Amino acid sequence: MNSFRLALRVLRGDRRTRTSAILTGLGVAVATGLVLLLVSLPFATEARGERSTWQEPSYGSGEDGPATLSLASSEDYTGGDKITRVDVAPLTDPGSIALPPGVGKLPAPGEVLLSPELARLADGMPGSQLGERFGGDVVGTLGEDALKFPGQLVALVGHDADDMPVTAFQQNGFALGGAEQDPLLQLLAGVGVVVLIVPSLVLVASSARLIAARRERRLAALRLAGATPRQVISMVSAETAIAAVGGALLGAAASPLLHKLATFVPWDGGTWQASDFQLPLGVAIPVVLLMPALVLLAAVLGLRRVMWTPLGATGSHERKPLHWWRLLSLPLAGLFFAVVVSTAEDEMGMMLVLLGLALIVASAALVGPWVTSAIGGIFGRIWRRPSVLLAGRRLRDDPKGAYRASAGVVLAVFTGSMALTLMPSFESMAGSSSPFRDSVLYVPTDAARAERIVAETNATLERYGQRERAIGVGEVVLAKGENSGQQALVLDCERAEGLLRLDMAGACAGTPGVYSEYPMELNGVTVSAEWGTQGVPLPADTPVRPFEVTGEDMYSTAIIDPAVLPEGVSPSEVTVAVPTTQANREVVRTALAAAAGGAQIESREMRIWDQQTQLSDLRRVTVIGLVAAAVLSGCSAAIATAGSVMDRRRTFGALIAAGTPVRVLARALRTEAAMPALVATIGAGVVGVLVAIGLYSLVEEESSVVLTPWIAAPVVLGAGVAVLAASVCRPALNRVRAEPLADE
Amino acid sequence: MPTQTTQSPGPLATSTRPALSGRGLVKRYGAQHALAGVDIDIQPGEAVAIVGPSGSGKTSLLHVLAGILPADSGEVLLAGTRIDHLGKAKRSELRRTEFGFVFQSGMLVAELSAEENAALPLLLGGVSRGQALADARQWLDRLGLAGKGARRPGELSGGEAQRVAIARALAHQPSVIFADEPTGALDTRTGRDTMNALLGAAAENGAAVVIVTHDRDLAESVPRMVTIRDGRIATGVTGS
Ligand SMILES: Nc1ncnc2c1ncn2[C@@H]1O[C@H](COP(=O)(O)OP(=O)(O)OP(=O)(O)O)[C@@H](O)[C@H]1O
Ligand SMILES: [Mg+2]
Repeated sequence: MNSFRLALRVLRGDRRTRTSAILTGLGVAVATGLVLLLVSLPFATEARGERSTWQEPSYGSGEDGPATLSLASSEDYTGGDKITRVDVAPLTDPGSIALPPGVGKLPAPGEVLLSPELARLADGMPGSQLGERFGGDVVGTLGEDALKFPGQLVALVGHDADDMPVTAFQQNGFALGGAEQDPLLQLLAGVGVVVLIVPSLVLVASSARLIAARRERRLAALRLAGATPRQVISMVSAETAIAAVGGALLGAAASPLLHKLATFVPWDGGTWQASDFQLPLGVAIPVVLLMPALVLLAAVLGLRRVMWTPLGATGSHERKPLHWWRLLSLPLAGLFFAVVVSTAEDEMGMMLVLLGLALIVASAALVGPWVTSAIGGIFGRIWRRPSVLLAGRRLRDDPKGAYRASAGVVLAVFTGSMALTLMPSFESMAGSSSPFRDSVLYVPTDAARAERIVAETNATLERYGQRERAIGVGEVVLAKGENSGQQALVLDCERAEGLLRLDMAGACAGTPGVYSEYPMELNGVTVSAEWGTQGVPLPADTPVRPFEVTGEDMYSTAIIDPAVLPEGVSPSEVTVAVPTTQANREVVRTALAAAAGGAQIESREMRIWDQQTQLSDLRRVTVIGLVAAAVLSGCSAAIATAGSVMDRRRTFGALIAAGTPVRVLARALRTEAAMPALVATIGAGVVGVLVAIGLYSLVEEESSVVLTPWIAAPVVLGAGVAVLAASVCRPALNRVRAEPLADE
Repeated sequence: MPTQTTQSPGPLATSTRPALSGRGLVKRYGAQHALAGVDIDIQPGEAVAIVGPSGSGKTSLLHVLAGILPADSGEVLLAGTRIDHLGKAKRSELRRTEFGFVFQSGMLVAELSAEENAALPLLLGGVSRGQALADARQWLDRLGLAGKGARRPGELSGGEAQRVAIARALAHQPSVIFADEPTGALDTRTGRDTMNALLGAAAENGAAVVIVTHDRDLAESVPRMVTIRDGRIATGVTGS
């Protein structure tokens, strides 16, 4: 008889086999859908990048042809949203410059193209808030194809070639295509695949266990009836294949829906276009094929026992105690990890760190069953109540099976506590060493442009009725000898106190001089505009006054009052700085942006805000991943519990028939299911935190890890999931009680 | 009040109330009558063999009497008290305290040793660990399993496993023991030995035994035999 027909007949006739097949199918479907999504993440960022490469200077150019375009890209902010500003000036006939998709025309000097969302925002508020920043007439809008994500705020501003900011880059036309995948997302997707695939596969394995006992008996019967091993394999494969292939197709069919959901999750400034998540068929098809193949392989491997001992399957299995060397694998992996973490420097080192991480995760599969067996041993010795005895013996007898059910939870907890340890620590790292106060807006530029920017900005501020004024802060070098020296900002004492994160400590009461955080000997010190150029000696009698740095992680700089700057030194690098208040920040930004003409406006506030946005992107993705992993692993643990009841249906049925209260059996099963999961969960949490501390030391040498109570969250969540999943045994036992002695 | 249809009442029938009685028991599966009105009395300490062709309703009768299956109509009385209308928990407790069970095979808990299996009903009844294990060991000794108490069911022969099951059924001193094909998986010789062990141990303990069996020869060795045919007790067929 054809094995597919036989399999279909079994599926039609037997309810439990059908349930198991449906669960297997669902597990494969979820796994397939998730993998398709995760694998598509790097491609999605690539798709975004493809649309938005034109917004960046084409750094690769120079080899590709003569420069035809001058382009400067900068970031601006309005009300907490990021604006990407692209300033361009043609260096040749504008008509000959190829335009990026979605860009209707190259704006002439004084013309601006805005993205639809930015145009809407600009129309909705006074020009001094936003609209006048771009210093030109809006002559059109940018299309979807020119935007990184729907709703991106982009301004494309036209200039004359001699009117471009210092940061402008001369290139051959716009940069088109050639985007690369986001390495961070690649890493996250890789971690995510592992963290989500394991519980999915455990789910599949658990649902197979629902019918393991029954199937083994059926197969043993077939073998005894003379079926060849090959026939038996093909029968089981057919049964599993129907479920697995069906599941994979379902997962593939549902994946557009999942992708649709993913488009709502912001990353790197905005959400996604639905088409971003489209996978190349060359990637999608292997993924869809791979999942059922894995499941089939697992099913066939699981058959070995029945294959070689047709009667053994119905008998009892031997119990070999697990060897204690398993216990060594974790410290060994930990040691390896610690060593590579402390020595890692180059790319090779990073590979070793990843290998160490993989080893730690793998060692859990060795240690977990041993610990489970040890718990069983202890229970088996100290029991007082029959439920503890039953649970203990079971754990001792089949520690691998008992542990397997919680493998998904363990992995999720490990990853979760690692992520939650790392994240606040990274957050504490975020910051900026800029000496300017958080509220100061500043534009690094050169002396000539600075003068014009200051003049224009102040004229506009005057027109807007603002009291704040821009000033140019020059940079000079206080050099001593050939190699030693220090940067100094050219500022008078009052202004320094107003703009910078320091306390002049009364120094402003004295005559102008040099101000320094550290004691300074001016003997032999020369002042120059740039490093390595001939300096002019500073009079040795110039007063040196101390100040105190009040801001965190500010880089060290000295200050020199313009009044004592020696004749003939004129700074070439100048930063235009304007103090702002909460109330006039947007307006000052508008005045400065209009004058800066595409030069980057910096502010410590926005720098930090940017870092926080990245971190919250990361946090959001992590939380979504962890919740998905928790749900998946909870489902698989629950099915595993139901499976372990079904496995022993006859024994439990007999016990119930003989009057054993379901309560006692339920307690035994709960203990049996939850105990290893609880211990493993706590263990995984601890190891996760330790590994995170190790990883963190790679990034940051001194600052210590920030430990928050949130680190306990994955352990609590995991334990809750484990206990909840274990409680499934009650309804399963109630089913048995309905017909305690019914044969399977 | 239906009259007893078996001709030979147990030896103690005249002196005491029956240990267990079934009155007008009916059990249906759809249109099929597994039991079509069965009356039966089992006297304290009496051994009864229930025989009959396959599908005649032997197992159904046993399960209804033991309260594992509810009857569709009729009454079950334990020492004169109705027990068929009790709730699940109460019936479960009765089975645990008043009844003992021996099943065909494979019904020992695979992870527990012979001793622990035999001690299980005592433990469930709240007897302390030490006491329960000591009692269980005694029962195993009496059934000829001395020194095998630490073995797992998988390490015992079929006959030995059944004797462990007998020890388990007797350990908590029940008043009635139910055995459904207790020798079904054993060869004739071992089957006979096991049957003797069961009857002997039950007699020593004063427990009544209800044994379902296919094997007429084995049934002959039981003092009283009841034949079932099509869900009814067949009249005129008696044991020795
Ligand atoms: N769960 C069930 N569902 C439907 N019919 C059943 C069920 N259990 C038993 N029967 C039917 O009830 C009748 C009596 O079954 P029972 O198991 O009591 O017979 P038996 O005398 O024990 O047979 P055997 O000697 O083969 O064990 C049979 O015809 C059987 O088909
Ligand atoms: Mg039967």
